[in-house]
Amino acid sequence: MRAGVAPGIPALSERVRATTPRWRRPALVAAAGIAALAAALVTGLAFGSVSIPPSDTLAILAHRLLGWPVAVTWPASSETIVLELRLPRVLMAMLAGGGLAVAGATMQGVLRNPLADPYVLGTASGAALGASLAVLAPLPVGLLGLGFGQLLAFVGAVVAVALVWRLSRASRLGSLTGLLLTGYAVGSLLAAGLSMAMVLSGAQLRQIVFFLLGSLATATWQQVAVAAPLIIVGVLILAWRARSLDALMLGDETAAHLGLAVARERVILLAFAALVTAAAVATCGLIGFVGLVVPHMIRLVVGPAARPLLPLAAVFGAAFLAVADLLARLPGELPVGIVTAVIGAPFFLLILRRVRTGYEL
Amino acid sequence: MTELRLHDVAVAYGARTALADLELTVASAERVAVLGPNGAGKSSLLRCISGIVPVSRGMVTLDGVPLAELGREAIARRIAVVPQQVDLPFAIRVEEVVALGRIPHERSFRGPTAHDRQIVGEAIQRVGLDGFVGRDARELSLGERQLVLIAMAVAQQARLLLLDEPTVHLDLRHQVQVMDLMADLNDREGLTIVAVLHDLALAAHYFPRAVLLDGGRLVGDGPPAQVLAPDRVRATFGVDAAVWMGGARPGV
Amino acid sequence: MDRSPLPNPSVPRRKGLFVPTVGLAVALVTGACTAGASVAPSTSTPLTASASVVAATPTPTTSPSPAATQPAFPLTITDDEGTAVTIPHQPNRIVSLTPASTEELFALGDGGLLVGDTDSDDYPAAAKALPHVATYQGVIMEKLVAAQPDLVIAGGDGFTHPADVTHMRSLGIPVVVIYAATVPAVLADLRLVGEAAGQLPAASAMTAAMQSRMDAIAALARAEPTHPSVFYEIGVGPDIYGPAQDSFVADMVVLAGGTPITTGDPNSYTIALEKLVVADPQVIVLGDYDYGTTVADVVKRPGWEHLTAVVDGAIRPVDDTIVTRPGPRLADGLAALALAIDPTLVLPADLMPPPTAVPSPS
Repeated sequence: MRAGVAPGIPALSERVRATTPRWRRPALVAAAGIAALAAALVTGLAFGSVSIPPSDTLAILAHRLLGWPVAVTWPASSETIVLELRLPRVLMAMLAGGGLAVAGATMQGVLRNPLADPYVLGTASGAALGASLAVLAPLPVGLLGLGFGQLLAFVGAVVAVALVWRLSRASRLGSLTGLLLTGYAVGSLLAAGLSMAMVLSGAQLRQIVFFLLGSLATATWQQVAVAAPLIIVGVLILAWRARSLDALMLGDETAAHLGLAVARERVILLAFAALVTAAAVATCGLIGFVGLVVPHMIRLVVGPAARPLLPLAAVFGAAFLAVADLLARLPGELPVGIVTAVIGAPFFLLILRRVRTGYEL
Repeated sequence: MTELRLHDVAVAYGARTALADLELTVASAERVAVLGPNGAGKSSLLRCISGIVPVSRGMVTLDGVPLAELGREAIARRIAVVPQQVDLPFAIRVEEVVALGRIPHERSFRGPTAHDRQIVGEAIQRVGLDGFVGRDARELSLGERQLVLIAMAVAQQARLLLLDEPTVHLDLRHQVQVMDLMADLNDREGLTIVAVLHDLALAAHYFPRAVLLDGGRLVGDGPPAQVLAPDRVRATFGVDAAVWMGGARPGV
Repeated sequence: MDRSPLPNPSVPRRKGLFVPTVGLAVALVTGACTAGASVAPSTSTPLTASASVVAATPTPTTSPSPAATQPAFPLTITDDEGTAVTIPHQPNRIVSLTPASTEELFALGDGGLLVGDTDSDDYPAAAKALPHVATYQGVIMEKLVAAQPDLVIAGGDGFTHPADVTHMRSLGIPVVVIYAATVPAVLADLRLVGEAAGQLPAASAMTAAMQSRMDAIAALARAEPTHPSVFYEIGVGPDIYGPAQDSFVADMVVLAGGTPITTGDPNSYTIALEKLVVADPQVIVLGDYDYGTTVADVVKRPGWEHLTAVVDGAIRPVDDTIVTRPGPRLADGLAALALAIDPTLVLPADLMPPPTAVPSPS
């Protein structure tokens, strides 16, 4: 383009920087996120149902993780608590929280709907139905440290999304509308199956309800080892395709005009979002709110561009769930889904009311 | 430069034929209006030029290369489409919308570079939206939003610009603004412009060449005064109208 | 798989909270379609394995004589889920996750070895003072680990969350899961727990005593000329909860000289009112008395006024914890149940249940 910049008018980036207050620059937000993550890790290891002196906690970590020669003055149970209970649990919370936040941001972008969350295409109902079938007919089957219920939950989630995808292809509606409505229909059908299972479960109802409310209480190193590769790889791939999410922001046709292979990208984005969600749901049950609200909170600060949004959502989602889990643990094992809703919803409403960033919903 | 050629093109959606027997050549730096009644196939024409819709017969070539052989990204670097309007589900700033135009040029992981940001800034300036940087695009008027979408196409740095009814829903001031901008882009940067218009007067005033479609077929191609002769207008649109020849440019 | 002796309620049976909350949970799902509940009273032939305990005439026990010597440690036992559990040495820090096993360990004199129980363990009084490492929500894993147990007794059929059992085992803690669906199985479990704790002789003696007491009570109760139809009410509101077919509670009712009215389905604890009306119990035993249900409440229920038990005033409260808890006081529970079913039954002093807060039927 030969039009030159008129003299005296500042370059765009300067102008953008001038209109963006310091605290909202992506780099600073990222730094805050990493600090929050570190704080969540530290507090998650330091606090729990049993109080362990911080000096002991630090000594245990130094001795076992870093190999420092420290005199062992703590009881073996403290070591088990810190290394076998708290550490895998905090890591699991971070994995699930980060994964769900990124999956939620992806679903919102692909479906171009601010109310979308990771569960909108039937993942929740499929996973819940799978878990409840395992409660009805428990088989002593396990794989890679996951119990029968968790395996069925994972399979249920994946099958549900695949089913929604196949069925929506036959729809004559616009592709997004068809997808959403099919997701709703399949989800409702699976939920009916879940309700039936709950009625039939009789005395075992409690276990199904436990799954529905989400919990990190049974996180073990084995589960972390299984979930981590799925979630980390999925999140990395989604972050790599963030450009496609941006292109989709103005609609399918515009995205195609911007050079995007729309059908292919949509499949990739939905598939990996579903995979990450299924891994989170299988290991932790249904934890709501994280996937819906964390992306919105990030957008309020740095805007909808996917390339900063996805990594920041991962970091803040991880910190958020780790803190929520800590708060769930302290009074005696509340289901974490309740805590995420109780702390997240008012916080979100507050932000909506007070902040005028130019990114209001 | 960019030469667009449609040879014996037919476009069908299932059983319905939208375009047939289409022969069209648009030379570089031309400014062409596509006219016709509703259902004449104007949008289908734009879609097959941009490659969104495949042709059922014939060939569309860009600089001699068939569109089918170019990938979507390659097409996007050469052809920019300005949509009529878009839904913005999330709050998004003006400069971020315009920055989307750089997507065909960006690498996956790297993201936008300083060069990209400079192009975006220049595009915003070019369409006259300087004062709107930092504002939520959803708060702009329809006319201003159309300018944002044009800026996005400009940032795409494509040589061929396709516009689908850019002045629909716009008030007179913005209609003129958009039309002036298009003429300017064509005159100064030599961008090839193909615009579907419903407003015959605007077309006649701003475009040296008009192409008339009726029932999927090309029924006129030439200067507006000729294409929009009264008997042609009556036959195609079913309305008695005259092309006014007063002044430097014709009007209807 | 047999159902547990007691329906595993979806919420803790706190006073007054149980039935409304369970009712709400079930109401939240699509209409409860209970399996066709037949209320034909169980046949008069002795039920299943109970035959070994019930005798037509009072005879000594016919169950196999228990092994009286404790095997040495390290010890591998098979728990009720079929899992082989290895206990490396005689436990001296035991966590009990069921009220019954807590009672048993106190009864065996091992109360001092208990380092944790659940918050619903209420007998003996000392159990309430133990650290509570589990609640109805589940095991508080950090507290359990901090207690450093070398043996954990857990409840099967979902009483202790299966995920918690797996978690504890993955931390290297020996967990023995017990679950009994019949009266002989209860006694076998008491011996199993005793063996795990290194107290098999004492446990065997305890169960032998219980066995002979229960045989004697059953003989007297079943020698009565009539065996009235009995509905053991576990809870009401909005659904009616009673014993499942072939369940432990139904077993107890038979031994206590009654003919149990069950839900007709081994997997269901709910019975429709119409079915109950057709079955027309002659006696209603209020197992939910401790949770706030009184005789006056039952009489007021719409549709219940024509039941024979209501008309005759044969609604009798009972201390649910001794009747349905599969623990050392089960013989007392059998006696209490027999007296509730037939207040005119005369039991010798050594077979009478101890006085409880529940008003004894007059």
